[in-house]
Amino acid sequence: MSKKKIGVYVCHCGGNISDYVNIDMVKEAVKDEADVFLVKNTVFACADSSQKEMVADIQNDQLDAIVIASCSPKLHLNTFRSVAQRAGLNPYNYIQANIREQSSWAHSNDKLGATGKAIQLVKAAIAKARESEALLSKKITALNAVAIVGAGVGGMSTAISLADMGTEVYLIEKSDSVGGQVANFGQVFPSNTTGKELVEKLHSEIKKRAKIRLFTKAEIIDKKGSIGNFEVKVKVVNEELSLHVGGFVVNTGFESYQPTNGEYGFGLLENIITLPEFKQLVDHSDKLEYKGKPVNTVAYIYCVGSRQDDEGDNKYCSRFCCTAASHTAVLAKQKFKNITNLHYTRGVRTYGKQELIYEEASKQGDIFLQFTLDSIPKIVTKGNKTIVTVKDILTSGKTIDAVVDLVVLVTGMVPRENKGLQSMLKIPLGRDNFFNEVHMKLRPVETVIDGVFIAGTCQSPKNILETLNSSQAAAAKANSVLTKGEISLEPVLAKLNPAACTWCGKCEEACSFDAISMVDCEGRKVANVNESNCKGCGMCTPACPVDAIDLAGFTNSQIEAMIDALAQS
Amino acid sequence: MSNTHSEKQVKTCLNDIKYDVLVIGGGIAGEESALKLADMGYKVILVEKEPSIGGKMILLSKVFPTLDCAACITTPKVSETARHPNIKVHTLTEVNEITKDSSVFSVSLKKKPRYVIENDCTGCQECENVCPSITQDQFQFNLIARKAVYIPFSIANPRIALIDIENCVLCGACEKACPSNCIDFSMEEETINVQVKSVVVATGFKLFDPISIERYGYGKFKNVITSMQMERQLAPTRPFNSILRPSDGKTPDKIAYIFCTGSRDHTVGNPICSQVCCMYSTKQAQLLMGALPMADVSMYYINIRAFGKGFNEFYLQAKDMGAKYVKGKIAGITEKENGNLVLRYENISTGKITESEHDLVVLSVGLLANPEITKAFKNEKLELDALSFIQQPDIMLNPARTSINGVFVAGTATAPMDIPDTIMSAGAAASETSSYLKSLS
Repeated sequence: MSKKKIGVYVCHCGGNISDYVNIDMVKEAVKDEADVFLVKNTVFACADSSQKEMVADIQNDQLDAIVIASCSPKLHLNTFRSVAQRAGLNPYNYIQANIREQSSWAHSNDKLGATGKAIQLVKAAIAKARESEALLSKKITALNAVAIVGAGVGGMSTAISLADMGTEVYLIEKSDSVGGQVANFGQVFPSNTTGKELVEKLHSEIKKRAKIRLFTKAEIIDKKGSIGNFEVKVKVVNEELSLHVGGFVVNTGFESYQPTNGEYGFGLLENIITLPEFKQLVDHSDKLEYKGKPVNTVAYIYCVGSRQDDEGDNKYCSRFCCTAASHTAVLAKQKFKNITNLHYTRGVRTYGKQELIYEEASKQGDIFLQFTLDSIPKIVTKGNKTIVTVKDILTSGKTIDAVVDLVVLVTGMVPRENKGLQSMLKIPLGRDNFFNEVHMKLRPVETVIDGVFIAGTCQSPKNILETLNSSQAAAAKANSVLTKGEISLEPVLAKLNPAACTWCGKCEEACSFDAISMVDCEGRKVANVNESNCKGCGMCTPACPVDAIDLAGFTNSQIEAMIDALAQS
Repeated sequence: MSNTHSEKQVKTCLNDIKYDVLVIGGGIAGEESALKLADMGYKVILVEKEPSIGGKMILLSKVFPTLDCAACITTPKVSETARHPNIKVHTLTEVNEITKDSSVFSVSLKKKPRYVIENDCTGCQECENVCPSITQDQFQFNLIARKAVYIPFSIANPRIALIDIENCVLCGACEKACPSNCIDFSMEEETINVQVKSVVVATGFKLFDPISIERYGYGKFKNVITSMQMERQLAPTRPFNSILRPSDGKTPDKIAYIFCTGSRDHTVGNPICSQVCCMYSTKQAQLLMGALPMADVSMYYINIRAFGKGFNEFYLQAKDMGAKYVKGKIAGITEKENGNLVLRYENISTGKITESEHDLVVLSVGLLANPEITKAFKNEKLELDALSFIQQPDIMLNPARTSINGVFVAGTATAPMDIPDTIMSAGAAASETSSYLKSLS
């Protein structure tokens, strides 16, 4: 390896790093490392002025490689690759050292230790930079076509947006009709329209667009390929279809929480129902009756299946239910004038403009009580009466008994079981078991799998407005990626040396992306890497007994140099 | 004949600059919409009335519920916006008039003089060093002072100086000190005329000014500050290297937060919930407990609105760390001689009128509508809702649409919302704008 001129930049990250890591000590410790030409510190390496300075340094001093010691590459890898690129340096001659997540934040109680570790990490990065090679991205053509999974309001909205932006759309729905859960909703807050009308409007818009092909009773059964070029098999009723798409938008929605048997008396007492059941009752009855008995007093019990204690799985707030319950209570009262609504809440969360519906419920005479998890409402029957007893924290802990005719359990959203799809598209789950985005603020509709986008309530509980916003945002993202017609492939790929390969099949076994197969090479059986399937994960390299596979960007010589540097310091 | 011809020529010349989209506002909503549209290949002009893009987010400390540093998340978006070949950014620029003629919007922009030549300033701050005139620093929410010639803040974009002419004494010291000769007192307000095919309104929100709630004593009691002032004290680019209370520079150890200041309150004309204050206060409490491990932090709230992904868990974490959540609305504050503050409230859990003493009070101020932009629309009306946010006439199908065909809206211009929701809404606005532009051709 020829001698390189390396520039090293150590970032303060405001104080995120420099409050714990002594930047001057880091600079001092690495300035005499072989090939290091300059060492600088910067308050925010990612700020535009710092980027400009780096570009100028690379060009003026003709640097061959740069090391940036700042945060996790998850955050700014692309930022700094583009700095290198703008300066005319190959982006793979830039090496990141993570001294924030791995030093300052992890060892905030030990400043000297954090500094020592930062020095080691920077030295290892310099060692890697010394061995770094220029890598070239291969460009592949990308299809401007998207498969959308789920034709609820979210999926339909994504489909319309994508089609109008010029993308071909395959809208794949498992059930026999569109609209998902919203199709059964009556009036939806904050509009005067019903869920049914909303779904009908979207469906008629779908039908107008030649670019959208809707399949109901359809399911994806197989997927191959990578961003820009996915081969998809879809089972429609009993037929199998092959589709060729550039990406996926997953918009599979939610499931309503089903109370367990006996939860607040559910399934044991006959006049206990869930909010979705109650909404149907309100929408479709002229008199409020349940099982033939008139209903004059309704008790709404909030947070059923949400914000659970240690024994429950659902720690999260379901977001829409406080508003949905207040709104349903307002509609019920408007329709059935004389009813009394009692709300047993855990603190009303009608955030934003939704506050107005809570206010309306209060104004119409609804009574709001509040309980904590330590003393949840008890529901008992005495004779033919149902009594709800609660220790109400709004009246400084008084125990309040109320005779009610119907108990409505305000059930939240739970993630839909979708193991097949999830493992086929390799979508990661968050700690709440909803599908997880890469970064809530930077990449909110992307998953770690390139070309697989998520939107709507499969990601987290959302109301209709929020579902539409995220669905259209996913459309914008998918379109902006695919509309150019080509995509640069990451050049961090497995590289095979056919002369050394003795084909044992171990690399093929280790690969989880179907990127390795056996081919015939001049009469010998050897492994072959399909570059558009390879994700550069590196699982194959240690499996090879004869070192015939190396990973570009993480070569054995680079990793060994890093280990040597770490071992020496 | 020839006269008319030349007049026409002059007019065409003035209106010569054409873009696909005008984005009004350079906060995260405007940037996200602009970036998405620029990535799709559209030519975008983005205008920002402040001297830097980045909006309010770039001034924050860390953001809930992930505790990412706000600067680390905004700076890449900010510099990508400034650098994108399809985006032209104008700072210190306001929209004066927008007139729609069939499908073309004629826009006249007013660009305020910076008195510094943008392309020549290197941001060396020599001018700041010699400037004799001192005034309050609005980007540090008046916690400290700045010079009349100044760089807005260290991660501003563009990171160049400007002269605040109202506070300038015209001594010329900066002109002499500037090594790149870029101070120019002869600059005047400039009118820029452009033609665009569509508009994205991303004008954000106004922070509630608590001076109108007299019982909290903001502006009168020194140790009553706003949450934005606390945000600055916690930020990486903070004015002091510690948390200090204003009256005597003492490190506070008994801090109170008053939630819903200016929200859910008919007496100040804002009946709705501001959607972010519960969570940003909870975040500040966590950061304060990290910075001042011995401090007591009390949170006086009505309801805790921890509704988003990871929010409830974040709220429980703050409680576990020791933040004391007290349900009760503060009826009044009195100041003691030592600058401490006595809060009077009904403690809901006991039902008793209670008083408690704190040495620093933080008002969790809410988000209000910022409807000024509607005045710029001349021949078609940009409608507002009852709360003066931009109206969304088709909210349940196309939330980014406004009352004017071709004008879309993103972020907190429609309602209070947090950062993830703002980014989603900006994505939706980009999608609607692109669909609209495709329908024109």
